[in-house]
Amino acid sequence: MALQDAPVPVTETRKPLGARVRHLLLSQEGVLFIILVVSVLFLAARTDKFLQASNLLTQGRLMVEVGLVALPMTFIIITGGIDLSVGSILGLTAIMLGVFWNNVGLPLELSVVLALGVATLAGFLNGLFIVRVGVPPLIMTLATLAFYRGLAEGISEGRSVRGYPEWFYRVGQGDFLGLPTQIWFLIIGIIISAVILSRTTFGRTLYAIGNNEVGARFSGLRVDRAKLLIYSFSGLMSGLAGWIFVSRVTTTRSDMGSGLELDVIAAVVLGGTSIFGGTGSITGTVIGMILIQLLKNGLALNGVTADATIIVIGLVLIFSILVNNFIQSRRQVE
Amino acid sequence: MTAVAAAPSASADRRATHFVGVILGVLLLAAYFALPFVNQPELGATGITTLTQRGNNEFELETNGLVLLPIAAAAALGLGLWTVFSPRHERVTSILIGGSGVVALAYFIIFFKAYLEAKGSSYLGSMAFGFWAMLALAVLMIAQTVLPRASTGEEFSIRRVLGNQEMILLGGLIALVTIVGISNPRYLAERNITDVLQSHAYIAVAAIGTTMVIITGNIDISIGSLVGLLAIISGRIATDTGLIWLAWLAPPVLGMVAGGVTGFLVAYMRIPSIVVTLGMLSILKGMLLIWTAGSRVVDLPEGFFLAQMRPLNIPMPVWFMVVLTILAALWMRYSGFGRSLYAVGGNKEAARLSGLSEHRIVFQVFVINGFFVGISSVLYATQLTIIQATPPPGMELTVITAAVVGGVSILGGTGTAIGATLAAILLSAIRSSMVFVNLSPFWLRAVQGLLILVTVLADLLRRRRQRV
Repeated sequence: MALQDAPVPVTETRKPLGARVRHLLLSQEGVLFIILVVSVLFLAARTDKFLQASNLLTQGRLMVEVGLVALPMTFIIITGGIDLSVGSILGLTAIMLGVFWNNVGLPLELSVVLALGVATLAGFLNGLFIVRVGVPPLIMTLATLAFYRGLAEGISEGRSVRGYPEWFYRVGQGDFLGLPTQIWFLIIGIIISAVILSRTTFGRTLYAIGNNEVGARFSGLRVDRAKLLIYSFSGLMSGLAGWIFVSRVTTTRSDMGSGLELDVIAAVVLGGTSIFGGTGSITGTVIGMILIQLLKNGLALNGVTADATIIVIGLVLIFSILVNNFIQSRRQVE
Repeated sequence: MTAVAAAPSASADRRATHFVGVILGVLLLAAYFALPFVNQPELGATGITTLTQRGNNEFELETNGLVLLPIAAAAALGLGLWTVFSPRHERVTSILIGGSGVVALAYFIIFFKAYLEAKGSSYLGSMAFGFWAMLALAVLMIAQTVLPRASTGEEFSIRRVLGNQEMILLGGLIALVTIVGISNPRYLAERNITDVLQSHAYIAVAAIGTTMVIITGNIDISIGSLVGLLAIISGRIATDTGLIWLAWLAPPVLGMVAGGVTGFLVAYMRIPSIVVTLGMLSILKGMLLIWTAGSRVVDLPEGFFLAQMRPLNIPMPVWFMVVLTILAALWMRYSGFGRSLYAVGGNKEAARLSGLSEHRIVFQVFVINGFFVGISSVLYATQLTIIQATPPPGMELTVITAAVVGGVSILGGTGTAIGATLAAILLSAIRSSMVFVNLSPFWLRAVQGLLILVTVLADLLRRRRQRV
């Protein structure tokens, strides 16, 4: 980490295959994947509808908003930060979109772009205060969680905007190449984020920040720039999710996305990203979000009410971390 | 924090006064944008010109006068930000900030004259909060540049007294009440004052527990769900068994049980508190929704309504708030356990080396937090004649806001119960004042957010100065 250009000390000594498989299975992603497979099998055995393509595609459609925001959230949590304001940025974007289009009278295309700009700016402001003033991320984004939501509520005064033109709904309700349109956004987002995180120096910088921020700074890594970028990215993705959300539900309201941050953080943390920073992966996050969505859906199809589903998700969240802690401590003993 | 300290940065020599510029700029802008909403919502609220009133009362408001305000405010904001974020601050900048303050002030003089001359000055009355607030800000902006600045090293002792969070909150509260009271005397009516005090009492009680939790460096975001669940349990006990004492006693006890589970997971299983309470939030909310199936509790027995009782003509919630705050404050300040909270939050390693068990203290603090949440839920359950089947919306946010604004530092190690309670009252006073100055309550959340931000910035500055 300290010397990036120097030949990396060989940590990847080839272990025997069995050990590698075991290592993989005992990683958080591995554990989760097993849970995922087991629960899919279990749920599929209970009801026919669950594994049908149409059902899975619908679930994919519903998952996109959380999924898009979970990607930058993974980055942020890896650096040891957190962003609680994502749901509020989503709401603010939705309102700004409606206001630009309906009240200001701009073309809808421009309104979308401007709303995304507002979202990015909102994320950038989070980052700016965190980086330059040194406000702890939890508090900064807690403040903006209230502030951005307050802006959305104040600007809209509780009124909703409806009546968007037909083409606008294509993003949230239409299909493209056989998949719901917004899933393509998510897929592209996942690929880009995964490549950035695991294959670029920028990605390594994020881990370095999470492991030892002072060390990263003294190694000449551009810590501040990296943080500004990921918080702005978080704003942008929340905005994107807001746009898709509006397009999916065909209306704009100021309470949109409230509580989103909890779903997103649950998905990321469930995916094995440590809330203390330093470890985590996009793969884990993706498995985490799919697991949550399928659990919700599968349980609902099995006649469990939506309310009971959130209990299960809460339990899975705590339980998976307990298991992970247990495995990690055993590994340390070894 | 170590990262900030170790990193080479020029931030140490930034001064409080620069932040004042930013904050004032933000407030001026916010006030300006709020203005159209405040006064004449029916005129539409999109721009400067819409404020020109042509109705019965004939106030000849010149639009060009209003134009000055956002310009001045934006200038102050920009310059303030510049001085905060630029490594060096210059005389020129301060002069410019002061200049924009003068412009804003000049605007107000024009504005004020126009209204005095206008007939039916009730318009002034209806908008007076924004007006006076902005006037005060303009004066402050000028004062900021004119008054001598304390250099980073020296410190006035009076400053230290006035600089403590409780005093600031008290000052803010008094200022708010005075300003709103002048603009609308009904705000000071006994009934309203009582309402301000009692409507957020359950927030204040919960905020005491949250303060303790945050002092140890943890957080609890499941408060709202727990209050919702305990309130319903309390109501069900009252309706089903008629044992009112049990209905009052059960929430604190069950709250401590729930707190114990959370505390166990956090302290002994080493799961970060934000994750545990995130999980608890889902679990408790799910239990609440399943159990009630969305139906609220009605037909509560006569004697159940604890929060509506008024011993000595003072509402019960106020009693609870005051007594619990004083007890908690004394306990946190003088008891061994109280001190150990600060020790764990301030420096874990030192606390461990002095023989304190971090695990046990964190566990206990969550149990105690559960107790306060339980009391809070009794107050919440008994304040109306029905109990809703949903958690009080946004409660955890309001409670954490109260704790943070009350001076608890999320970095751990500081904070008091009195601060939390004062902050809860301040939030309540702000909410109530919005009605009296015709400000749309939709802006409440934005004000809350700004308040957290301002408090935290002030806290960071204070810490920096202390370190220097």
